[in-house]
Amino acid sequence: MKSNKLSRVVRRILLYAVIIAITAITVYPVLVVINTSLRPSNALYTTSLSLIPENATVRAYVSILLDKPFLLWMRNSLIVAIAVTLLGVTLASTAGYAFSRFSFPGRRSGMIGLLVTQMFPATMLLLPLFVLMRGLGLVDTLMGLVVAYTATVLPFTVWTMKGYYDTIPRDLEEAAMVDGASQIGAFVRVVLPLARPALMITGLFSFMAGWSEFIVARVILSSQSLYTLPLGLEGLAGTFQTEWATYSAGSLLVSLPVVALFLILNRFLVGGLTLGGVKG
Amino acid sequence: MSILPVRYRLPYALLLPTALVIAAVILYPFLYNFWISLSNMSLYHVRDAHLIGFDNYGKIFLESELYTVLAKTIAWTGINVFFHVVIGVGVALLLNQQVRGRGIFRALLILPWAMPQYIVALTWRGMFNYQYGAINLILERFGIDPVPWLSHETGAFAAATITNIWLGFPFMMIIALGGLQSIPDELYEAASIDGASAWQKLRRVTIPMLKPIMVPAISLGTIWTFNNLNVIWLVTRGGEPADQTHILVTYVYKAAFSYYRYGYAAAFSVMIFLVLLGFILWYMKTTRVLAEAR
Amino acid sequence: MISLPAFRWRLPCCAVVCLLGTSVLLGGCGGGGDQTITLWEQMDPEEREILHVLVAEYQAAHPGTRVEVAHYNTEDVRTQFQTAALGGGGPDLVFGPSDQVGPFSVMKLIHPIDEIFPADELARFRPEAFDTLDGHVWALPDQLGNHLTLLYNQDLIDAAPATMAEFLAAAEAATLDADGDGTPERYGLVFDVSEPFWLIPFLTGYGGWVIDAAGRPTLASPAMVRALELLSSLRNEHGVIPRECDYELADTMFKEGRAAMIINGPWSLSAYRKAGIPFAITRIPWIEETGRWPGPMISSKGYSVSERVKGEHLARVLDFLRFVTSTESQIEFATRLGTLPTRRAAYDDVRIAGDPVLSASIAQVEVGRRMPVVVEMRAIWDAMRPAVQSVWNGALTPAAAAQEMQDRAIKKIAEMRQ
Repeated sequence: MKSNKLSRVVRRILLYAVIIAITAITVYPVLVVINTSLRPSNALYTTSLSLIPENATVRAYVSILLDKPFLLWMRNSLIVAIAVTLLGVTLASTAGYAFSRFSFPGRRSGMIGLLVTQMFPATMLLLPLFVLMRGLGLVDTLMGLVVAYTATVLPFTVWTMKGYYDTIPRDLEEAAMVDGASQIGAFVRVVLPLARPALMITGLFSFMAGWSEFIVARVILSSQSLYTLPLGLEGLAGTFQTEWATYSAGSLLVSLPVVALFLILNRFLVGGLTLGGVKG
Repeated sequence: MSILPVRYRLPYALLLPTALVIAAVILYPFLYNFWISLSNMSLYHVRDAHLIGFDNYGKIFLESELYTVLAKTIAWTGINVFFHVVIGVGVALLLNQQVRGRGIFRALLILPWAMPQYIVALTWRGMFNYQYGAINLILERFGIDPVPWLSHETGAFAAATITNIWLGFPFMMIIALGGLQSIPDELYEAASIDGASAWQKLRRVTIPMLKPIMVPAISLGTIWTFNNLNVIWLVTRGGEPADQTHILVTYVYKAAFSYYRYGYAAAFSVMIFLVLLGFILWYMKTTRVLAEAR
Repeated sequence: MISLPAFRWRLPCCAVVCLLGTSVLLGGCGGGGDQTITLWEQMDPEEREILHVLVAEYQAAHPGTRVEVAHYNTEDVRTQFQTAALGGGGPDLVFGPSDQVGPFSVMKLIHPIDEIFPADELARFRPEAFDTLDGHVWALPDQLGNHLTLLYNQDLIDAAPATMAEFLAAAEAATLDADGDGTPERYGLVFDVSEPFWLIPFLTGYGGWVIDAAGRPTLASPAMVRALELLSSLRNEHGVIPRECDYELADTMFKEGRAAMIINGPWSLSAYRKAGIPFAITRIPWIEETGRWPGPMISSKGYSVSERVKGEHLARVLDFLRFVTSTESQIEFATRLGTLPTRRAAYDDVRIAGDPVLSASIAQVEVGRRMPVVVEMRAIWDAMRPAVQSVWNGALTPAAAAQEMQDRAIKKIAEMRQ
């Protein structure tokens, strides 16, 4: 008994050691970025290993929040990201359900077709995309971004929802339908709640796609009042002369809402939502 | 709609909005790209481009470095996706256990994914500098000779790969974390009763149950990595040293934006598309995820 | 295996046709109102601040006219303008380095400046500020410069080196390895060693050049071999430069006082001032062997007018152009950024003639050489870059590298012309 307990303690310690080591390696480059953001000299590189630079200053954070329209960029990005998230999750949860639960002509080709849309190098699609957006009157509008991003996230989100639905046993819906629910009713009341982890993943992914995308935004937007965060940040860089401290500070601020969103959604990634829980 | 059998109506209705959005945004650029690939559109023929057949495709195979670069692209994609999945799923398994501060660890570990790529890629480039980069400084503390990461072909390739692995594993981690929630505890309990070891549980319960959600992530991860120009471009500063760290999609970018060879670039992207399509069809067949709905 | 049943495609196709159909109806809108002048630029942050002040001034003086400025990086301003203009959109004005007019003019996306401005007005600019391509001027330049020059930290270097021998001696003397571990704590010289733009001064110093009048590369020359030999000797024989030295490392080391000299352009000066480095600038030193001054490439930056701008709106756009390129505006840019004006009148102004940094900058420009604006230059840079890096790593001898550049450039140019 005792040795068993001891080995459990050793295993716990080992578990923590591994987690801490991986986290440290993962976080180190981010600490370097933080270091850059605190540097008074605006230099990108450093020649030392110390994590806090000499004469550290938070001037860069003040400068980006007060001197630059950072909050405007953030507002635009939020509008786009939230719209993409809502559209992406709604469309994916229904389309994924169709692919998971029904047999119909075109199912396979439809699923492959979704992946196919991701296979062309984006470089080549920009000119026709611009022509198309211009035709639709969506050039230089946030709506144009929302439409473009939704189309690009759907392949991933539909597939992810489909994959997750596949792991949810069918008897649950069938039981509900025996109890008188329609197929739609069973989907909404039984399947969707169980699929919360997948909804969370697709939501987070859609949000991130709208939040951080640069290339398409560069093609579609030109008015400064519509700039999203990536476009705004890019403007801080010059060909040779970049305010690296401000740029790094901005990048860190950009990542915070994503981490915050993840922390909020994280509770859906904790046990208690498993099938067992529902059945019991 | 009356011709449509009743049993197909619901699935088509569910799919219609998605199909519309994708068709509206993606179909036209696709067809346009195919058309360009068959035309002579280039710097001197922008306004008067016309169809010339498959000449552009023929030229691709005359690229003297095509097969070397294709091999590098496959290595780049394979190594990256492998580590993304192994590290991502591994970390997800660790963080799916009862661990104090689990939420904090998870949040810290998604930072590479949440940060804008530009700044972190350049930061990694700085960390790989021969004399002043953090990586060699740390290696030296352990008594290891500094590695000329960026001025050596293999080193630069490794540097870009390490950076991209760092950037990409959190994505797989998040997906695996989601997937793990669909595994009922009963399955593990049943396996324990059968006397299964931890390894056997992983192989017989966890991996099969993760498959439906990981296969699409791996497929798309492969496609994205194959066409991911950004990271390798920033870390190796556009192919340093001596144009040795290019992947296929670099050719498309260079041909289109540096040399205005639009027809050629389009043909090249069609070729990339076909390579990826072949891979995905093979992968889908192997993993059987397209099996008809039960 | 995979069949694509016809009906699956018919539906989306119909949708697209419908969408495109509606879009034709909506087509006319889009693009700002007539009273709005749109400008896309690729200015550095500080340069942009000055532009914004000028724009505000202009708008105050011209009620009813709005100037909308959008910023892009150098690569993007060119590619995005192309995409937008080819797609039937884009701004009225595009500002950027002189070489971007190459593709714009070939694709007929911009007006020739000499057809929209009267000749006597253009005569007020210094003639060397204009680049002609196909017999036309395609951009109205507001600044000359972009030229590399030698900057040295006066705490570490006593007197400006005038000759290559003095230069190398000063660099060696300033390189410091106090703890003797073989890794100097301070280097005599830093610059972006693998970017061919930094090789050009040495190339011209040995009497070479990159391209001839017919657009043929001239890279396989004895001068190129000598320039590459000098480059590799900086590290291998003299040991005055770090082993891996890109732009950001060079910049960081000079800002930290860990490099005594840097070869860099006027864009960097204000940052070094802010970092508190007591620097002075001087010409890149004279090469005894050839009796020549190394000549950096000089280029202008300027405004091009989209071919879509016509009639009344064109007059409005030109009026704004006259304002942003006026003598006063140019002096503002020059005194704050170290760029050189293009209007003759500006050179007589005491704020330019009396400024020591600008005078030193002008001295460097005097020995510089115009960067060709032909589209073939992209092929030249792309051909040079890998070969320069190979010499730096020791993978190629200078002679072999010079030949390789030449061969690659010829191949790439042929592909472009297809």
